[in-house]
Amino acid sequence: MRKKGWLAGIASLALVSGVMAGCGNNNNGGNASPAASGKSEALSSASAGSKASGGTVKLKMWGGVPPEAGPQTVMDNWNKAHPDIQIEYVRYVNDDEGNLKLDTAMLTGQDVDLYVNYTISQTAKRVESGFAADLSAFTDYNIDEKMGADAAGWKIDGKYYGVPTTKSSFFVALNKDALDAANLPVPKDWTWDEMREYAKKLKQGDGYGFIQNTEPYADPIDAVLSKEGYTKADGTSNLDHPLVRKWLESLNGMMQDDKTTPPLGEQLTSKMPVEQMFLSGEVPMLNIGAWLLRSSNNFTDYPRDFKIAFAPVPRLQDDAEGSMTRGGIGDYISINAKSKNQAAAWEFLKWYADGGMAPMAAGGRLPASKDADQDAALTSMLGDKADTYDKDSLNYVIFENKTPTFVRSLPQEVMDLRSQEYEKYFLGAQSLDETIAAMVSRHDDYLKKSK
Amino acid sequence: MYNNWMRRQRLLGYVFIGPSMLGVLVFFLIPAVYSFGLMFTNYKFMSPNIDFVGADNIVRMLHDDLFYLSLRNTVVFLLAVPVSIALGFVVAVILNQKIYLKKLLRGLYFMPYITSGVAVAFVWMLLFQPKQGPINGFLRSVGIEHPPGWLSTTTSSMYAIDIIWVWFLLGYNMIIYLAALQEVSSELLEAAKIDGARPTQILRKIIWPLVSPTTFLLLITGLIMTIKTFGIIQATTQGGPGNSTTILSLYVYQNAFRYYEMGYAATVSWALFAIILLITLLQWLGQKRWVHY
Repeated sequence: MRKKGWLAGIASLALVSGVMAGCGNNNNGGNASPAASGKSEALSSASAGSKASGGTVKLKMWGGVPPEAGPQTVMDNWNKAHPDIQIEYVRYVNDDEGNLKLDTAMLTGQDVDLYVNYTISQTAKRVESGFAADLSAFTDYNIDEKMGADAAGWKIDGKYYGVPTTKSSFFVALNKDALDAANLPVPKDWTWDEMREYAKKLKQGDGYGFIQNTEPYADPIDAVLSKEGYTKADGTSNLDHPLVRKWLESLNGMMQDDKTTPPLGEQLTSKMPVEQMFLSGEVPMLNIGAWLLRSSNNFTDYPRDFKIAFAPVPRLQDDAEGSMTRGGIGDYISINAKSKNQAAAWEFLKWYADGGMAPMAAGGRLPASKDADQDAALTSMLGDKADTYDKDSLNYVIFENKTPTFVRSLPQEVMDLRSQEYEKYFLGAQSLDETIAAMVSRHDDYLKKSK
Repeated sequence: MYNNWMRRQRLLGYVFIGPSMLGVLVFFLIPAVYSFGLMFTNYKFMSPNIDFVGADNIVRMLHDDLFYLSLRNTVVFLLAVPVSIALGFVVAVILNQKIYLKKLLRGLYFMPYITSGVAVAFVWMLLFQPKQGPINGFLRSVGIEHPPGWLSTTTSSMYAIDIIWVWFLLGYNMIIYLAALQEVSSELLEAAKIDGARPTQILRKIIWPLVSPTTFLLLITGLIMTIKTFGIIQATTQGGPGNSTTILSLYVYQNAFRYYEMGYAATVSWALFAIILLITLLQWLGQKRWVHY
């Protein structure tokens, strides 16, 4: 019975995604086109070519940011200035289903001209399948020069298959008022142990001192292993690195002994709203990324009466030398190699990267290009809430911190097996040694299998 | 003359079943055959390369600890079916008596079955919250100091899912049983009463055997439906914590749509099919012993 499920799934996904593209667009708001025409447009373009009458080129860009958080304004700005190239934004949710929808759309030859990748492992799959154009064919834009040294993390086999566009910062957001009250300075460089002490000092009553968004949860160990290698010299798993052990042990200590951070099982199964807990002042420290700004600028849903300061994610190493931090640049935009309008897509992409993306700042996405006006973007990012942020520390984590960065490149399977095992450990279902042994043996199995 | 008429009748028959057969063909038979073929390949979704790898996937599955773990979790998940059938029977018998608010209660029991799965999942997650959840709040108030962690521990999570699933299936089982109970002849019941049978005896010796075909139907459909389900788990725990609630259907889903390992996913899904087939056959053979038509 089950066997039909997934294949029928593909077929039906392929069928619905054409319709969804139309629907997604209708929801954008602010767009004057009536719903009916939007839908028929999506349907007709799914079957026929994308050239409309009058020689106008029509482009479609797929991205994971909700249209109202910037993309729609970007598209409107471009469309106003370029009547000959009209672009339309299609939102896909950046999760398993959403990425599947994008991949299916490309596989079935629907119009996807540009799309945003959020991890390098997903990009690699698309490159392998021939859905990402090799951008070295376009010689009029030097990605290394524009985006700086951090861009190189996005190279696949030494080539760019997309343009990384956003300064993507990951940080610990701090409740500055709570820190001031406890006489703690905003750290510019701190270790995991120091963070643990902060959490103890900031903890009040039954509350927590430190919470983490689950997306960057394991970043501290990735920071270590990006540097030291996920595999040892002999090709076996390096997940038994002493600092991985330290991360597990200390985080477990924070959950069980200090009670300064929520037990992971509880956090996961109650889908703990960490942003809300931080912004309401309930928890003073939050490990998260720039997308926090989407919520922290929204005083209607998240009223807040304190100032937010920012600190880099603490490092597991004692020595700052050789430590890394996640981030650098992200939102890697590729051009579909199967698209008929690659030249037009390239024109748009250059414009976007060099400042066209400025409205995205409202959602926490700052342009990475050196030619973009970053002060202006920063201003628009903070909007009228600028004085509720600690400017110095924000500048530091986004622009001034010179710690080398890494881009997450671990395959999904390995991330999953790792998180499954550490979840069991944090729940007390297996010991530290068992956990590390299980991670290593499952990783080794994976390495063998994928050879 | 007669032959001609027969032929036309037959043709007409094909015309009538044509559209639905087309659906079965496109959405079921062709994908099924295709997935059977995929079993022997290393096909990854999106990948341009597809290689024949023989029985590699099957060997891999037989050595895959996660496959066995998912199988075990599936068995625990299936426990929900007999439990919900038993409860459904009890509730149906009670609601079949002359009691107050009968109609309202029937409606209430049936509600979960027609409620959106995601909404159900979210409500239960709130109820099950270990610290602030009302269930544990109640347990603490009656003096239980360490109430279970429900969905949040690796040992209890699968049973917590079972509870949700029993609650979900209960209404449907009850409705079907209610219909079956209406069919039980009142003459038999009266005769039994006159002969001095006690209510429990009537229930066990008369009603239960008479509704046994219904029980059989509910058991088979319930097991098949449960073994195929993964939505409720995807919406609550996504197979966690750890992998304590990864059941086979979810494992297939993850391999196919998270890791894009279509070949391996096809293999596991055919194993799942074999298991369903086996269970159904066993029940079919076993029914002679306890189902009375």
